[in-house]
Amino acid sequence: MTAFRSTFSRRQMLRDSGLGFGYLALASMLNDEAVSGRVRAADDVGLDALAANNPLAPRDPHFAPRAKRVIFLFMKGGPSHIDTFDYKPLLQRDDGKPLPFEKPRVQFAPTNNLLASPWKFQQYGECGQWVSELFPNVARHVDDLCMLHGVHGTNAAHGGALLKLHTGSDNFVRPSMGAWVAYGLGTENQNLPGFITICPTLAHGGVRNWGSAFLPAYCQGTPLGVASQPSSAATVRYAKNDRIAPAQQRRELDLLAEINREHLQQTGPNSALESRISSFELAFRMQMAIPRIQDISDESPETLKLYGMDETVTEDFGRQCLLARRFAEQGVRFIQVTHSDTNVQWDQHSQLKQGHEKNALEVDKPIAGLLTDLKQRGLLDDTLVVWSGEFGRTPTAQGKDGRDHNPEGFTIWMAGGGVKPGFRYGATDDYGYYAAEDKMHIHDVHATLLHLLGLDHERLTYRYAGRDFRLTDIAGHVAEKIFA
Amino acid sequence: MKQADWPTSPIDYFVLSKLEENGLRPAPPADRLTLIRRATFDLLGLPPTPAEVDQFLADESPEAFARLVERLLESPHYGERWGRHWLDVARYADSNGLDENIAHGNAWRYRDWVVAAFNADRPFDLFLREQIAGDLLPTDDAELRRQRLIATGFLTLGPKVLAEVDETKMEMDIVDEQIDTLGRAVMGMTFGCARCHDHKFDPIGTADYYALAGIFKSTRTMDSFTKIARWHENSIATEAELAAKAEHDQQVATKKSEIDSLVAAANEQLKQSLGEGAALPDKPETQYPEETKQRLKQLRDALTTLEKAAPAMSTAMGVTDGDARNVAVHIRGSHLTLGDEASRGWPRVLSHDTSFNIGETESGRLQLADWLTRPDHPLTGRVFVNRIWRWHFGRGIVGSTDNFGELGERPLNPELLDWLTVEFAEQGWSIKTMHRLMMLSSVYRMSSTHDPECAAIDPENRWQWRAGVRRLEAEAIRDAMLAVSGTLDPTMGGSLLHVGNREFIFNHTSKDETKYDAPRRSLYLPVIRNHLYDVFQLFDYTDAGVVNGDRSTSTVAPQALFMMNSELVSDAATALARRALNEPLDSDEARVAWLYRSALARPAAEHEVQRASEFVASLSEASEGTAGDDTRLAAWRSLCHVLLTSNEFIYVR
Repeated sequence: MTAFRSTFSRRQMLRDSGLGFGYLALASMLNDEAVSGRVRAADDVGLDALAANNPLAPRDPHFAPRAKRVIFLFMKGGPSHIDTFDYKPLLQRDDGKPLPFEKPRVQFAPTNNLLASPWKFQQYGECGQWVSELFPNVARHVDDLCMLHGVHGTNAAHGGALLKLHTGSDNFVRPSMGAWVAYGLGTENQNLPGFITICPTLAHGGVRNWGSAFLPAYCQGTPLGVASQPSSAATVRYAKNDRIAPAQQRRELDLLAEINREHLQQTGPNSALESRISSFELAFRMQMAIPRIQDISDESPETLKLYGMDETVTEDFGRQCLLARRFAEQGVRFIQVTHSDTNVQWDQHSQLKQGHEKNALEVDKPIAGLLTDLKQRGLLDDTLVVWSGEFGRTPTAQGKDGRDHNPEGFTIWMAGGGVKPGFRYGATDDYGYYAAEDKMHIHDVHATLLHLLGLDHERLTYRYAGRDFRLTDIAGHVAEKIFA
Repeated sequence: MKQADWPTSPIDYFVLSKLEENGLRPAPPADRLTLIRRATFDLLGLPPTPAEVDQFLADESPEAFARLVERLLESPHYGERWGRHWLDVARYADSNGLDENIAHGNAWRYRDWVVAAFNADRPFDLFLREQIAGDLLPTDDAELRRQRLIATGFLTLGPKVLAEVDETKMEMDIVDEQIDTLGRAVMGMTFGCARCHDHKFDPIGTADYYALAGIFKSTRTMDSFTKIARWHENSIATEAELAAKAEHDQQVATKKSEIDSLVAAANEQLKQSLGEGAALPDKPETQYPEETKQRLKQLRDALTTLEKAAPAMSTAMGVTDGDARNVAVHIRGSHLTLGDEASRGWPRVLSHDTSFNIGETESGRLQLADWLTRPDHPLTGRVFVNRIWRWHFGRGIVGSTDNFGELGERPLNPELLDWLTVEFAEQGWSIKTMHRLMMLSSVYRMSSTHDPECAAIDPENRWQWRAGVRRLEAEAIRDAMLAVSGTLDPTMGGSLLHVGNREFIFNHTSKDETKYDAPRRSLYLPVIRNHLYDVFQLFDYTDAGVVNGDRSTSTVAPQALFMMNSELVSDAATALARRALNEPLDSDEARVAWLYRSALARPAAEHEVQRASEFVASLSEASEGTAGDDTRLAAWRSLCHVLLTSNEFIYVR
């Protein structure tokens, strides 16, 4: 049993042989009567050593977490905060007048005078949060939402802003926040990756937005399709093989395992060779597990309706939200859902009204459905839902009916996972151009998100090229006032 | 020294002394089969063919291995393998990545230049000078000048935020990327820190940083900073292209003058028809006779067509000198808070003499290149011999190949590194000489045999008591599969990019149309930043955006999914099975033996032959009745699939 107890270091293991989705799956498989005949004795592959070093085993956070997982609803292109959740009466009053203060030194494009929101706002819920007509369904959940109105970023272009939001850096290659979470917490389900991103966009930073950079490879996000595909067609790459019958593939894997173990015997103890042997068994299980999660035929018609899957306009994003809940139930730590089409979606430099109406219609009902569903199932308590674009939009007009990018002030909202429900934190100025009160930079949002997961952003570090790196670099303040 | 008979090269004495110091002993020599597979992958990135194995086994002289190394060094595939190592350092890519992912349509010229330089054993000092200041090196040879302009692509290939709204920031970010790359690639130094503050650990101050920044700010890398910004390309038009261009220009001029004379004549006619002394009306052409109008339209259409058919003039990403100027220290890295001006130059702590001799109108790149390649430069040679060592043995003498600074790792064997550094300069910076030196050592020729006592002392094999067991790199995995399945196309060079220069790889569509199905060596497949080819992404290719002389090796389940389910592996298995079935062999056992020789470069053991034959036989029976399938082929395909995905195939001992 102990013949091959390897003595490689934990660091080496983390760096070089991150087992993919962990040793526990293999261990549980070995105990599984149905397949135990397929895999030989555990001691052949040095499982003792692997058990002590499984990088994706659930790990204790730094302190008691308020949330165990994150569902990140990313609205690509920059939805306008002043037309959705950040109501500005003075903007409505001063339509067409000049902005009564300076515009930022650096702007993406020139803008003109103030442009009133074309939508009516009204107050909802006990908290009295103002929401525009664009989000009538989400509006009914305002007593569960925590509005962060004073968020600001540093980059006025999509690419830089996406990278900043996802990785904390717009000019260096850094791990995505989902990768940091997988690194910090491991995963609760050893058959699945710790970080899944559904239909992500390849533009504006692409893979870097879900990459692990210098963190171990197992931390990287596993994409399910890309933005150009309907979510019904989104799959994990290479998780399916139509060219060969499953039984024959199983035969191949059995022979492969036998040959590989023989090779290992000749080579002597080697963690990488051992990991590679188990990675095939893991992969075999994963290719069975993922289609089961994607198969939504066991959902009731009521649930499908809740997500708007009975209507064409909401079907696509509804499925993404439903899949997010299913992955959350299965213990995936960080699930990103991206609302993105081929026109940069929320990027209305012109025709704000038509564009935002179309976009909001596609997501409003699915998001509301997700919140309802998570709450019904008791998942909202320990799942943090985050809604955000890469920036907001200017209160001043671009052309006659559009708005430009605005990283100076915008709104992110969170729900569940230990944030104060029905709460407003921070504010922009009277016209919604700059963050003004209780400002939160993107770094502060990251610090706060990690804190909710029980991770201290200053202690969650990784040593690379001679220095300790963090998601928040040398910045980041935790907004403790938003904690429930 | 206890094992005085072990060393065969000066290197061995250095290694053995450390081994014995640590209570370790070297593993026994590797057998011939292991050696040829190791050396062939090492120098060519390809597996040896059965014929090459036979030839090596048949050579019984003590010089056999040296002869093998010579043969490999003379193969053009050598440059493809070792050039690719340098491309990792040069953060080579065929697209910009970052925010606006547009095509580096001419980057391939730099890649091909690197391959050729390695094949020609270009001395490393010249190789560097050409990349840093190729445009400034005097020569009368037009072709050499073109090649040197291509070489400066090294400075231009970095990822750039092309839609940065703040143009001043964009320019300084690009300069920063150049300094960072040059620093890590050539000197193993991280200068980037000093952009904002004096380096906390290495003796590099902000003044040193901005002295270098002045050199690159005085270098023309970009033609325009207006989003989407445009990088500079040098003309490398050939004589023939220039002649074609001149002829075309002539044709255009002729066509234009034809139009001008027609207009002049028609105007004259018009004036006359309007009467004596009449002025020409505002839009005279509208009053031309119908026939003239038509003739004019014909001529103008012909001109448009002609102009569109302008012959393509070759250009290459690269730099040239711009307006020479010093840069002021940017306090905390911000271009909005400027301090004292720093004269163009390089870090004083590394220089013997601090008179930089940079003329007022010069960028200083040529002087920088000369200084970096002085034989007594404290870092350049050291960093590169360490890289060669890393690429041969899997770990550098300094483990952090791109960081020799205070925060990098200490050299495990400083005396060996010193000796190699001096030797490199004395041998005229010849890289091939260093290969011979390292490969003909006893260290290189050890086996990977496990030794429990040594493993207990040094489990990570840091002191090299045995040969490492190493996974093939992404390219070698794919190339080896294509090679043994007989489908590899050995054509060298050129571009496989599907879009034109500066065009979007994919804009907002997230539809990447890049094709990777050409059966060429992986070196030639497009390197798309932000969306690398699956094989690259999965098997620890570089990020292609930053210097990387030390690729990692991860083992994750998605790699296994690729091995199990990808078209690439499946097709290679099918092609290999077809080859096996087409061989004129009279038994399944003989076929299995042939397969092992072809795929694993060794004879199959008796039990392996038996097991594989039984596997194929039982699969053929089991799948009988499968509608219309060639069951025999399917069974052999399965066996091939297993061999191609086995640890033995993917790893080198």
